[in-house]
Order: sequence, then C-alpha cells, then structure tokens
Amino acid sequence: MHENLFASCIQGARAVLGLARTTLADAAGRRGKDAPLSYPGTAYELPVAFGLTDISVSTLAGAGNVLDLAESLVRDGGTAENALDAGAATLLAAEVLGALSHEKGNPYPPPAVGFVPDSILRKLGIFMVDGSVPGVAVVVGKASDPAVAASMVRGFQEIGLLVFLAGDVVSQLDAEGVKLGEEFKTFPLGPLPAVIHAVNFAVRAGLTFGGIGRGQSAAMLAYLANRVKAFVCALGPPDAVALAVAAGAMKAGLTVIADQPVPEIPGLLLSRPAGEEMARAGMEARGIKVKMVKVPIPIAFGPAFEGERIRKADTHVEFGGGRSMAYELVRSAPPEEVRDREIEVVGPDIPGLPAGTALPLGIEVRVAGARMQRDFESVLERRIHRIVNYGEGTMHVAQRDTTWIRIAAEAVEKGFALADLGMMLYAKMHADFENIVDKVSVRISTREEDVLAGVAGARAVYAERDARARTLTDDAVEEFYSCTLCQSFAPNHVCIVSPERLGLCGAINWLDGKAGYEITPTGPNRPVAKGAVLDPVKGAFEGINAFVRENSRNTVHEMNLYSIMEAPMTSCGCFECILAVIPEANGVMVVNREFAGQETPCGMGFSSLAGSVGGGVQTPGFMGVGKHYLLSRKFLGAEGGLARVVWMTREMKEHLGEALRERAAEIGLPGLIDQIADETVAKTPEALVSHLAKVGHPALGLPPLL
Amino acid sequence: MTVALPEQRFPGRVLQVTLPAGPGGTPVTVGGQNGLPYAPEGDRPNRPAVGMEVRSGAEELPPSLEAAIGSLAGDPVALARRCVSGWGARFLFLSLTGCHPDSGGRSVADGAALVRELLDAVPAPVIVGGCGDEEVDARLFPAVAEAAARPVFLSYAEEKNYRLVAGAALAYGHGLVSWSPIDINMAKQINLLLADLGFPPERVVMDPLTGGLGYGLEYTCSIVERIRLAGLSGDGMLARPVLCQLGDAWKAREASDASEASWGDVGLRGRRWEETTGLACLAAGADLLVCRHPENVATLSGAAWR
Repeated sequence: MHENLFASCIQGARAVLGLARTTLADAAGRRGKDAPLSYPGTAYELPVAFGLTDISVSTLAGAGNVLDLAESLVRDGGTAENALDAGAATLLAAEVLGALSHEKGNPYPPPAVGFVPDSILRKLGIFMVDGSVPGVAVVVGKASDPAVAASMVRGFQEIGLLVFLAGDVVSQLDAEGVKLGEEFKTFPLGPLPAVIHAVNFAVRAGLTFGGIGRGQSAAMLAYLANRVKAFVCALGPPDAVALAVAAGAMKAGLTVIADQPVPEIPGLLLSRPAGEEMARAGMEARGIKVKMVKVPIPIAFGPAFEGERIRKADTHVEFGGGRSMAYELVRSAPPEEVRDREIEVVGPDIPGLPAGTALPLGIEVRVAGARMQRDFESVLERRIHRIVNYGEGTMHVAQRDTTWIRIAAEAVEKGFALADLGMMLYAKMHADFENIVDKVSVRISTREEDVLAGVAGARAVYAERDARARTLTDDAVEEFYSCTLCQSFAPNHVCIVSPERLGLCGAINWLDGKAGYEITPTGPNRPVAKGAVLDPVKGAFEGINAFVRENSRNTVHEMNLYSIMEAPMTSCGCFECILAVIPEANGVMVVNREFAGQETPCGMGFSSLAGSVGGGVQTPGFMGVGKHYLLSRKFLGAEGGLARVVWMTREMKEHLGEALRERAAEIGLPGLIDQIADETVAKTPEALVSHLAKVGHPALGLPPLL
Repeated sequence: MTVALPEQRFPGRVLQVTLPAGPGGTPVTVGGQNGLPYAPEGDRPNRPAVGMEVRSGAEELPPSLEAAIGSLAGDPVALARRCVSGWGARFLFLSLTGCHPDSGGRSVADGAALVRELLDAVPAPVIVGGCGDEEVDARLFPAVAEAAARPVFLSYAEEKNYRLVAGAALAYGHGLVSWSPIDINMAKQINLLLADLGFPPERVVMDPLTGGLGYGLEYTCSIVERIRLAGLSGDGMLARPVLCQLGDAWKAREASDASEASWGDVGLRGRRWEETTGLACLAAGADLLVCRHPENVATLSGAAWR
C-alpha cells in the first residue's frame, strides 16, 4: 500500500524539478546565466546544495548544475529508496526555487519572513546545542480546525521548541492570534514551498554547529537525523508536491506526522489527529524531552533539606513506619504503556486531614526508556529515598514495603498534597536518570484495599528481584564495573565492582555501576571485561589486570579480587571497614569506621589503620572493604573465606546480624559468629589467641597465612 | 666506563593550539611538545606564553598592583594596550567582572561592547572570561560571542554550562577554555563532553583551576603534572595545553597585607607571590600563564624555556 505513496512522491519531485527548470531558465533569460544567485544573509550559498552536494553555487549556471544532479536522483518505480531519493531531489530543486524567489529579498507579504538569515541561526543555534531549545517543529499545510492548530503551536512555544510554519497555516495562526516572530522562536516562512527554509536552516545548523564541511552529505544526514531533533506536522490533504517534500524530510531522518490517513512507516511517517496527540507523537519519535527548570511544588526542594528530620510533634500526616502499610515500587514498562507526566492520586489526600493521621500508602513509579533495563529498577527505586528527603518538610526512611514517610505540618500549611510528592518523583527521576528514562508516570494510592492489593504485587516483584540478585554472581557475568570516582584524591586507585564484591565505600554495587555507565558514559563507572580467568580462587582476571594497570597509570600491575595476602585490591580511603591480618591468630580482624576505640588486636584503631590502608597502594595483609562484602561467597576466597575472621567489633556483628549468621551456617559453621571475638573479649593478640583456642575457632586449623 | 643516561620517551604529544590574533598582531601557539617541562628529552616546539589579565569591574587592588596598574584600573582598554605594548603580554585575558551583580552589575550589552572595543584597540590574542555569576554568564557568553568580530577564546566551559558556552563558541567560530576544579577526572570528562558535542579539539585549552601559593598551589601542581603525564602517556583527552590563571595568588593575605611590617615590603611581596606561583605552574607543565603584575610578564617569560 506504500507503492502509491512512493509513486506520488516521485511524481511530486518531477513537478518541483520542472518548475525549478522553467523558473531558472526564465531568470537566465532575463539576467544572463552568469548572474549571481544567493540567499540574503548567509555564508553558505544555497545551504542545502552546500551541505549535501559538492556543487558550488554562486550563479544561475551553478544552480543549473544542482538541478542536473537532482534530476539524476529521480527514478521511476514506487520503492522506498526511490521515493527518498526523489525527496532529496525535491529539496535541492526547492532550494534553487527558494533562492530564485529571493532575488529582491523576502518575496512574501507579512507576517511571512522567507529565508531565515545566519545571524538568527547562530543566536538560536546556541540554545539548540545548550538544550534549552529542546527540538524543532515544522508545521505545514492547512489546518481543518485552526483553533486546534493554534493550541498545538502554543504548546510548542511553551516548551521552547523552535517552530517553523509554511502554507495556509501561517495566516490561520495569525488570525488565531498566535504570537509569531523571532522572540517567540516561531517563524512563519511563507506559502508551502517556503518550507525549504526550515530545511536550509537545519542544514546550516549542521554546518555551523556540527563542524560539517561542504559536501559531506553522509555526515550531514547523520547530523540532521541524530542531532537536530525535528519533526514535521503535515496538516490537510497532501498533494504530490507536499509528499515529495515530506519524502525529503524523511530522507533527512525527520519524522513526518500527518493528520490524514497515510500508510505509516514506523519512526518516519505517522498518522495522528492534529493537536496534543500529534505533538506527543512527534516529540516521542524524535526523543525530545522537556527539561523542568524548577519543580512546581509549594515547598522548597533540594539537597539542602536531605538531612532534615521531622519529629512526631511536627508531623501532620505519616505513612508506614509501623502505623500503616506503605510501599514503593519502580517498574519499567514499554513506552506505549507509560504516559509521561501522568500523576495519579487515588484515595484521601493530605489537605483536609486532621493532624496526626496515619494513612496507608502505595507509590508506584512507572518508567520507560530505550536504554532502561529491568535491572535498573532497584537503582531507581532506591533513589526515591533521597528524592522525598529533598523536600522541605518531607521525610523518608527505609525502603520497599518498610518505607516510612512523614509530612510536616509546615509543608501541609503551604498546601503540599500527594500530587506534589508525585511531581517531585517525576521531575527528579527525569533529571537524575536523563539518559535512561524517557517517560515517567507516578501513581499514589492511600486507599486501604488498593494498597493491600498493591503491596502483594510489589512483594512478588521484590522476591523476583532478590532471586535475580542471587543469580548475579561473579562467575555468571562477563563484565565487572570500574569506579574511579576517588581518583581525584587517590590518583592511582581503581575500584573493581563485581556482583559479589561491592565497592569498598558500600555505596556502589554492580548494578549501580552498570546504571552509572548508562547514565554517564564518560563518568567513573566503566564496564571492564573479565577476560581470561587466571585464577578463579584468588580472583585473578586478565582483563581486570589490564584495566587496573592502565588506569592506575602503571602503578598497580595485578589485582586479585578475592585475596588479602596476594596483590589485594587497593583502597581510596572511603572503605566502610578495614580488614587486617593478625598473624598470631592466623586470621583477620574487621574494624568499622564508626568504631572509636583505639585498642584492637592489631594494636591500631580504625583511624590509625586507615592511614596505612588508603591512597591507592597495595598493602598485603590490609584491605579496605564494604561491610556487605563479608557476606559474599567470594569473601577472601583465597584465604579460606569467612572462617578467617577472628575478631570483629560488636557494632559490626550487630549491623550484619542475621545475615552474617546465615552466611556462617551456609558454609557449615553455624557457631562461627559466637566464636569470633569482639572488643569486650580481646584487645591484644595474646588474649585473642587464647580466646580462639578456648572456643575452638576454625581459623586456627586453616593453612598458615604467612 | 661510560654510563648511558636513562632517557624518558613518551608515546603521546600535546595537541598544538593557536590563540588567533587580530590584524597586525602575533598569534600565540602553544602545545606540540612530547616531553616534560625543563627535562632534557623530547621536543618542545613552543615555549609557554605569558599573558595578562584585565578586569572590567571596580575592585580594591592589593598595594603591589595598585602601584603598578592602579592609574589605569578604571580604563580596561587603556590597560590592555599597555599590557601588550608596554609590558610584553603575548595575550590578554579580559575578565568581565564588572557584569557581576556584586561588582557593578553592568549590563550584558555593556560587557559585549567592551569586548568589541578592546578587540578593536589591541591586536593581541584575547581570552574572554565571564563574571562568575551563573545566571549572568548564561546571557553574557552568547552576547560576547556575537560581539567579538574576530575569534577569541571563551572562558570557561564547565560541566554545568558547557553546552551553552560551546554552542556560543561554535556559532561564531571561537575557542574555549575547559575548566575543572582541581580534579583530573573532571578535567578529562569536560574534554570528553566537548568532544561529544563535536567541538574541535584544536580550539580548546584546559584550565584545571590554579590555587595561589599557600592556598592550594600544591594541589594544582600535582594535577597539572598528572594531566601532562597522562597526556604524554597517550590519553588524547588530556594531551591538551594547560592554562594557569595566577589571579588567586593575590587573594593570599601574604600578597596584600601591608600591616605586617615584619613580612617586608608589601609591593615586592605581592609581586613575588604571584611570580612564585607562576614559576611553580611552569615547572608543573603549564603552557599559558595569566598574571596581573606587569613585571612578572618579563620574569615569567624569561623562565618559560622551550
């Protein structure tokens, strides 16, 4: 069914080409073939020819060469390729016609502006590079309902799009009172053929801002397709000429959305009713995202308020925290199932509730994005904690189905409602995960039956995620992630984060690294291929060694992921706890950052130890790690694992709690945790050894460490 | 018996960058070296260049600068002329401090007009710096880029504003100073981000932020050295000329406090404070120095060997 459409494009191309021929011949007859030909106010001759061909045009004869080339692009046969080439030919011919019509300046009556000069391109182009002009909308044809077209264009103006108009829609919008002109970034170009000035504007953007030279047509087409986020809204029934121009736009990678029934070509030609649906389709097809400069909520919002605690007396409403059921969940979904910026609140809302109310709460955030992965859901979900805490007068504690949110009376007085909470989540998810999230919607429910049904579903998702996390093992993945964030102060330190060894700061696990790379590909997290496994027990990998060597600037030549004695991982200084070998006890001690005492079996407290462990140097026998690494199956694999731990601060034991006991049971040492000494049992190696002997700690029976 | 001296050879080479001049002026070309500063090995086709800063805003000058440039302080264009023709500055760094709301709050149009006037008056290469107020600079850079009739370098592009500043530079054919806060990762990242935008690398110099003597200079030296070592070792994103702005040296009390008689003559002290900061930067590997004291142009240029 596309065949007729393609054939019409080719027919339209011939018509435009024929008209260009006769108009050019006429001008040549009048002025001579060597008469100059140019647009006013550009350094790029006939920009479309300049950008897409290597023909230099300064005279009417030069324009003839462009038409010859265009002619060679028009072939019979209703195929997509022929139609797109005919589209390119149409653009070249239309460009010649456009330049001919500008012999005495702008040929059109106001408000039409005709050719848009370089000076305006440069000014507006800065904001296209900057992103404050997020895209370009080209509206052409004749609206069947001018009011709808007007409201659509006003919508474009509101979000800062650059708008070009051509055809009857110019006078229609003018009559509707739509503000036109440079200050509104809306250019009424002229009658339909004047749409070529939108094309030559885009081409000049590539020449000026894309560093593309004359005739680099492949680079130019790529720039137009990838960098110039433009789409065409075609209103009214198209004729063959309009279709030929549309084919030209598609050749340049632009999406054309018609309000007529046309056979769709995914990504290039769509059919949608004019108005909101057309605008949405165009922006989605070109990946145009609107940046929110300020989150429109009645309370202050930012990192300054992150540490704010809301006491019971200051609380107006609370959710969860033992007084009611509350949960939060981030799910990814296909793009067509998420309506961006949809914030839905179901059930009783904050305004009007008496002070001291506790309500059930379900927060479900749905996200979609071309680069979104199911694995990132938990990374995004954990961000809810920080986002809610950013509000002045909102507090968030815990996560998943233990979440606890308090809203202060102060915020409620300012008019804070649940939709504002949704807006906070919506805006920050977009801002923080710009590269992976294209659409976000939020649903907040406070209705008991809703929340109970929701939490059951959420728990199933959490369980699924946990199951997935258990299958994520160092052996099962091909890539680990680097973290070089701390090279600013520990220049040669490289963290390698694997599924079973989180970053020593405790803040970055393998999924965070993966998401971090997607969000900022130029940032500190990069994928590192494991390469050949040199030693599975010590955790020696060829790819890891090569990466560490290069990124430690040749100071660390090899690094074993699971060993403290042989080429251990270096530390920046951010470690949650330090492992230190106690030779007398044939084991290691663990001291956490919060531990203030100076007396440990190795003779040093945390801060003295930290001085000898940090700075990116390998110190066999000493290593900084994240607390949860102790629970890993890969913990000190080379030295015998958790059984090596002979001393641990009481605080650490309590912090790791049941999980630590479970891990001990898993390796067949259910009594291990009670055998491990703490500061109340031993502060010297001698006391430690006699304790270990007394309780029969397994470390004493392991091969000697030294 | 003879012992062969070890010779250090690097696989990389610093990209050569030219700050263009106006008609009759001399462009400044830096970079192009494949060795460390002051080391016997490698070739260094261009010696580091010393320029001077001209500020548009009113300020209280330290005594040492008051004596040297005080009489011209209210007239940036006259000061610029003198910097080049009188004191030998090879380029100018025009800081549009006067547009900052706290130091005059001159309009963006005023700032742009000053750029135009200064470029007409002096043919030397010019780097134009913003006023430091994020909101004002967002309007200032596009206006300056449009007003500058010949190519200048805009200072500076950082992670937050690089798209805007790079856009302005691309629109009118200017160069950029890529800025980072004494952090080698961020120094690299901003260059990567500019590369992603398609900004031509031969129009970028890096400013890793220079702390004055006693106020962070050692951090700067370390970062400049590491940028240079990484660049010479083959990291193309860091193999770029480095600019050190010595202005921070004047913020030290030791450079400006006349009340401490035991510290010696404050005029000499201020000048030497800046000079010492500059010498350390040269030793670390700086390619472009921006100073404020006229006599330091000669002393630092004299120390800037090829």
